[in-house]
Amino acid sequence: METLGYLIDGFGVALAPHNLMFALIGAFLGTLIGALPGLGPANGVAILIPLAFTLGLPPETALIMLTSVYAGAMYGGRISSILLNIPGDEPAMMTCLDGYPMAQKGKAAEALAISAIASFMGSLIATIGLILLAPLLAKFALTFGPAEYFALFVLAFATLGGITGKNPVKTILAAAIGLMIATVGIDSTGTQRYTFGVLELYEGVDFIIAIVGLFAISELLFFIESRAGGGKGPMKVNKLSLSWKEIGSIFPTTLRGGVLGFISGVLPGAGASLGSFISYTLEKKILGSKGRFGEGDPRGVAAPEAGNNGASSGALVPMLTLGVPGSGTTAVLLALLISMNITPGPMMFTQNADIVWGVIAALLVGNFLLLLLNIPLVGIFVKLLSVPPKYLLPIVTMVAFVGIYSISNSAFDLYFMVAFGVAGYILRKLEIPLVPIILGLLLGPEMEKNLGHALTLSNGDWSVLWSSGLSITLWALAIIGLVLPVVVGPILRRRMRAAQDNVE
Amino acid sequence: MKCNDRVFGLLMLVLAVAYGWGATQFPEPFGGGEAIGPETFPLLLAVVLALSSLYLIVKPDPGSKWPPMRTGLELLIAVVVLIAYVLLLQPLGFIITTTLAVGTLCWRMGAAPIRAYVTGLIAGIVVYFLFTIGLDLSLPLGVLSVLEGS
Repeated sequence: METLGYLIDGFGVALAPHNLMFALIGAFLGTLIGALPGLGPANGVAILIPLAFTLGLPPETALIMLTSVYAGAMYGGRISSILLNIPGDEPAMMTCLDGYPMAQKGKAAEALAISAIASFMGSLIATIGLILLAPLLAKFALTFGPAEYFALFVLAFATLGGITGKNPVKTILAAAIGLMIATVGIDSTGTQRYTFGVLELYEGVDFIIAIVGLFAISELLFFIESRAGGGKGPMKVNKLSLSWKEIGSIFPTTLRGGVLGFISGVLPGAGASLGSFISYTLEKKILGSKGRFGEGDPRGVAAPEAGNNGASSGALVPMLTLGVPGSGTTAVLLALLISMNITPGPMMFTQNADIVWGVIAALLVGNFLLLLLNIPLVGIFVKLLSVPPKYLLPIVTMVAFVGIYSISNSAFDLYFMVAFGVAGYILRKLEIPLVPIILGLLLGPEMEKNLGHALTLSNGDWSVLWSSGLSITLWALAIIGLVLPVVVGPILRRRMRAAQDNVE
Repeated sequence: MKCNDRVFGLLMLVLAVAYGWGATQFPEPFGGGEAIGPETFPLLLAVVLALSSLYLIVKPDPGSKWPPMRTGLELLIAVVVLIAYVLLLQPLGFIITTTLAVGTLCWRMGAAPIRAYVTGLIAGIVVYFLFTIGLDLSLPLGVLSVLEGS
C-alpha cells in the first residue's frame, strides 16, 4: 500500500494548478507535433527541451509537460495514418490497415474517435502496469553492482535496434560514435580528452545541441531533398456518429491490445512496432471470420492503437527504474532528466519520489486531458495536417535555433548544431541509426563510471564484468538481442509489409 | 552502390585508429596509474568502432542513392543559409536575419518568393515578441535597435 500513498502524493503534484496547466499545454502541443507532417515525437520533444529551460520550469513541471507532449504525440500520429494512409512512424503502420479503409468509406470521424478511445485505454492499462511494476523493478535494481550496470548498458544498446532493426553492426557502430562523443571534455580525473585546446569543448558536448541538430536539422535537409514541401490539400471529416454500443464493442479489443502493448514496451528491444503488430494479429486471430479486418473494421483500428500507446507507456518503465531508455523518444526524456541534474535509475524512486510519482500521476491525468481534447478538437488537428512543410519546417528550424541560443547565448553552439544536422543527414543516408548515438552521448559518462568502479573493485581484472549470475544473464540477453533481429527481423518485416500490401 | 558503406567504414576505421592513438597520449593523471585511467574506456571504444567498421568494409549493405547535383546544390544552399543565420544574428538582429533565413528556406522549398519572405517576417516578429515579452529573454535587436530609443 506504500505505492498507493506515493501515488496520492503524486496526484497532489500533478493536480497542482500550474502543473495541470502545463500538462494541458503539453498535451495540446504534443498532439500538434504528432499531427504536423515531418515532426516525429522524438524530434518534437527535443525542440521543446530548450523551451522548458528558458521558461525556468522546476524539474517536475518540465517533466510533466514533456511527458504530456510524449503522450500527445502518440495521439496525433494516428491522424495521418487514418486520413492519408501515411504512417508517421513504424508503429503507426498497422493503424493504416483498417483506419484508411474506414476513412474511405466516409467514416473518418468514427475511425479517429475510436483510435482516440483505444489510445486512451492502452495508455491507461499500461500506466496501471507501470505503477505496479516500476517500484518492484526499482527495488530489484538496487541490488545491481557496477558490473551489472555496465552489462545493462550494453544490453540497452544491443536491443535498441529493436526486433525489426536491420543491421546490428550499424547499431553498434552508432553506439560507439555516441559514446566517443561523450568522452570529449575533462573527465573525472581532470584529464582533458579530445578537446584540442578548444575552450567550448572543456565541458563536453551538450547532448541537447546534438539531439536537436541530429533530429531537427537533418529532417529539414531530408525534406529539401525529397521535395515534399507542397503538402496535402485540405481535408474534410464527416460528422461524428458513434453510439455507446459501438464503443462497447471495441472494449475487449482495447483491453487485450493495451496489455500486449505494455508487455512489449517493457521488454527491451520489442518496442511499439511489435506492440501494435502483435495486438493487430492476435485480434485478427481471435475474431477470425467474425471481423472484417483490412476492410475497415473498427476493431482493426482499436487493436494497434491500444498496443502502440500501451507500449509507449510501458517503455517508460525501464527508463524510470533503470535509467535505460528503450526508444528514441524516451532517450530524449532521459536527456531532460540528466540535464535537470536528476540521476535516473532506482535511486530516483527514493531520492526524487515526488518527481517520479508526479510524472506517473501526470500520465494518468494527461490521458484524460488528451481524450477530452481529442474528440471535440480533432477538426483543428486535421486542418493542421494540411500545413505545407515548406512553411512549417523553416519555422520549426528557426524555433530550434532560438531555443538553443537562449540557453547558451553562444554562436559556437549553433554552428555545432548545424554540424550535427549535416552529420545526421549523412548518417541517415547511410542507414546508420541516430538513436544509439544519442543514447551513447547520454549513457557514456555513467557507463565509464561503472566500468571504472567495477575494475577498481577487482584490481583491474576484466572478468569481473561477467562474474555474477545476473551479469551473465544480462550479457546473454544482449547477445540474443543482437542476433535475434538478424534471424527474425526479415520475417516480421515481410509480414508487416504483406499485411500492408493486402489493403492496397 | 555498395561503396557507400565501404567508404564510410574506411573513414570510421581511420577515426578509430586516430581516436585510440589519441587515448594513449593522455598524460598520466595525478596519483599514478590505477587499474583504470582516462584512456581505458576510449581504448575499448576504439576497438569496438574499428571492428564494426571492418565488418562494414567487408560486408557492406546496398546503400541508398545520393541526391543528384541540383538537389545537392539545394542542400548546400540550406546549410549555407543556416550558417549565415548564425553569423548575422548578432549584427543584423533577430527579426531581419529570421526574415531572410526563414524566407530563403521557404522559397527554396518551393514557396512563392513574396509569400516566403512575408512568412519569415511574421514568424520573426511573433517569435521575437513571444520571447522578449512573454518569456523575458533577450534576443539581439541588431540594427533595429535605433527604433528602440524613440
